[in-house]
Amino acid sequence: MKTRSEILASGFGGQGVVRLGQVLGEAAVKQGYRVTMLKSHGTEMRGGYVRSQVVISKEPIDSPMVEFPDLFVALSLAAYRAFKHLVKEGRILYDPAFVVEIDQGLGCIQTPVPAKNVSVENFGRPVFANTIMLGVIADVMKTLDPEIILQSILQIIPKYHEENKKAFEIGYALLGNNR
Amino acid sequence: MDYLSKKYLRPRKIPSSACSGCGLGMNHKAVIQAVYELGLEVDDIVWGTSIGCAGRQTFGTWKGDGFAGTHGRVYAIARGLRLALPPEKKIILTVGDGDAFGIGLLHLIHAARSNADLTIIVNDNLGYMSTGGQYGWTTPHGTKSDSSPYGMYEHNMVSDGMDVLGVLKNAGATFLARHVSMDGPRAVESIKKGIANRGLSLIHIVYPCPTNVGSRELGTRDAVTIYNWIKNQAAPIGQERSDTLWATGVYHDASNSRPEFSESIHQHVGRIRRQRLYENKI
Amino acid sequence: MKRYLETGNFAVTEGAILAGCRFFAGYPITPATELAEAMSYRMPQVDGIYIQGEDECAALHLCIGAALGGYKAMTATSGPGYILYADPYGWAIGCEIPVVILNSGRVGPVSGITGAPGQGEFYLTRYPTQGGNFETIVLAPNSAQEAMAMTVEAFYLAERFRTPVTILADQLVTDGFEDISVPENEEEMKAMGFRTWPRGINRGPVFYPPTDEIDIPPVVLGHNTGALCSDWTPTEEGYDTEEVVAHHKHAYRLIFKIRNHKDLFNHLYEKTFMDDDPDLVVVSYGTPSRVVNTAVKKARQEGLKVGALRLIHLWPFPDEHFKKKTKYLSVELNWDGQLVREVRRAAHKDAEVHFVGSCGDLPAVAELLEVFEKLLKGQPLARKGWELEEW
Repeated sequence: MKTRSEILASGFGGQGVVRLGQVLGEAAVKQGYRVTMLKSHGTEMRGGYVRSQVVISKEPIDSPMVEFPDLFVALSLAAYRAFKHLVKEGRILYDPAFVVEIDQGLGCIQTPVPAKNVSVENFGRPVFANTIMLGVIADVMKTLDPEIILQSILQIIPKYHEENKKAFEIGYALLGNNR
Repeated sequence: MDYLSKKYLRPRKIPSSACSGCGLGMNHKAVIQAVYELGLEVDDIVWGTSIGCAGRQTFGTWKGDGFAGTHGRVYAIARGLRLALPPEKKIILTVGDGDAFGIGLLHLIHAARSNADLTIIVNDNLGYMSTGGQYGWTTPHGTKSDSSPYGMYEHNMVSDGMDVLGVLKNAGATFLARHVSMDGPRAVESIKKGIANRGLSLIHIVYPCPTNVGSRELGTRDAVTIYNWIKNQAAPIGQERSDTLWATGVYHDASNSRPEFSESIHQHVGRIRRQRLYENKI
Repeated sequence: MKRYLETGNFAVTEGAILAGCRFFAGYPITPATELAEAMSYRMPQVDGIYIQGEDECAALHLCIGAALGGYKAMTATSGPGYILYADPYGWAIGCEIPVVILNSGRVGPVSGITGAPGQGEFYLTRYPTQGGNFETIVLAPNSAQEAMAMTVEAFYLAERFRTPVTILADQLVTDGFEDISVPENEEEMKAMGFRTWPRGINRGPVFYPPTDEIDIPPVVLGHNTGALCSDWTPTEEGYDTEEVVAHHKHAYRLIFKIRNHKDLFNHLYEKTFMDDDPDLVVVSYGTPSRVVNTAVKKARQEGLKVGALRLIHLWPFPDEHFKKKTKYLSVELNWDGQLVREVRRAAHKDAEVHFVGSCGDLPAVAELLEVFEKLLKGQPLARKGWELEEW
């Protein structure tokens, strides 16, 4: 990998944006990387904006700011609009259930991941969208070992282990050849 | 110096620097008498005070360990200290009315809520006297002071059916009494009950300030005048007259009826720790 | 050694426990709430006490009371709570009570944005209370790992100097996740440079020697030592006095016990590319310093002779770092410029002192590089909105 990978995730409160960053960070720590993750959020526990900025590096990390994300996970239209311009050579994963308007003028790869709908279809509710998204990330991101990402999910989310395993596998296979 | 002073007080602070005719000494003496009658020794008590007349004049008088908090905060300090000291160490606080019922009331209410084992003697000279005599939260209606030259016209906390002791009772204090400093042995009995209660006890004792209250309200610094003025407006609970301002005696006694703050916290901490040990998580 | 991905708040909690802290009084406030929560979980496990104050003022008073009874105690808050410490902070300074305080800075004034970082209490930590005639000790970590280390250090300094010590973090340090290593025994602690100091009990009769001596055990009540402490000017035995001479002795002690023993903490700074007398020295503390370091490394790759000086102990201010005739740039998380004033005061009389502030969010590396170039070329700083306001 290059010396420094940056991941940005942003959306509403309650979507698991912080947890998503935490899982990737934990997986990176398990693989011996240095990790920082900034989280910013409003006062409200749910419904406000949330942003996770994850930096993964082989070296000690100076700036923990994500300025040139290799991966941007957009889970709300406001978040997409706020941060899409940061992505130069990286890639955007967005959930079309929330990001309903795409800027076709961007130079980067933009991939729709219908995590919410897939979660509802498979589990009858949207709560596993986050794990599905993590499956997709494991598929597209080369830095981290998918097995260790799954292990980190199960460690950080103490409940619904069977469902989370299944959701992760669904996510991992979701893009197929379209990745 | 009499026997009790010799036994319990530091010669350096006796006589105190209080104004001539000040009634605080009577309250102080009542507390010492109560301590003596309970058979307590110097090492059994840590003595805290606040600021103002009551705090400053009593600070450093006790032969044992002592401290004085900032305005109104001594209740929070004392709660922290309560958690650190063994339960058999008593903490007595001598404070003033402004400290307890004004600036410190929030902290006092939380001391009552938690039922911390503290005995608080509120020495009430009816306002802020060490700053020269301004009205406070127990100053009777109409009383003249340097900040109420036309007579005190704010609501206070002891008239018109309001009583700060009622507030403290509802907040959870387990022993409450009210006296005037001329009550002598009756006040001593209440203080003894207060110290014996394992929980928050507060004894409110009105005392005369000839220098400010006397001169502004009564037009004289003659001690006897204000002594009589206070004495005549006090009566034991049940014997109140229409002009009684201070009904004296035990206001509320629920001694040892509720878990004490520090013991309950240490018990919970111990239980959590034991459980963790048992589960082999420590 | 255990390695975790955890927050600065977690790191501070573990640091406090390693330092012997067994009392935490909290009051909920973003972004320091998680520290209180972590303490409420951890304290009982180590036989310690967690309680909540009725406000921040009470929380610190509870800590002081506990410290007076012999506990190593700590509280934490953010700016709006830190101002309520004014009262107990002064009392703790005057009575020389060891206690540790963490301030997780968020953008202000008043409540501001609860989840956005700020550095608005640089001077407030120097003067957290009224009256003057004292020095304060303030440590400013820039990572979760260092937050743990500085918590341990804060307890160490608090005991040796008999004074409250503030850890001035920011929201990014306390809320941010990072890979951290937690030592599991004394050898590992030593290897990580952690030092501790036990709580002693002052046996009197002198409780406040009129000297700059340190390592004097503090007043601990309940041991029948006859100890006295109060908010008034004390005699050496602790009696209240109105003698000005006694006040002189006490004030001398409160100021010079710290000033005359700066060697205990003046190693707490970090220099990056500072060996070749750089043409521009970028000064910062806390999380912005990490962006500065990235920017300075990039600047060096571009051939710009820029160095970075990061302050870890902020107060007493380390004047000795600013004696070179060069250009200084203070990078801060505020728009009004606080650190820069102190740099200007301390700097060589012919030095140039500049300021770049950002408000509520970190500066970007690209922005900083642009500023470095301009300053090195002697050009005025371009004003992009408010962010690049020259001080």
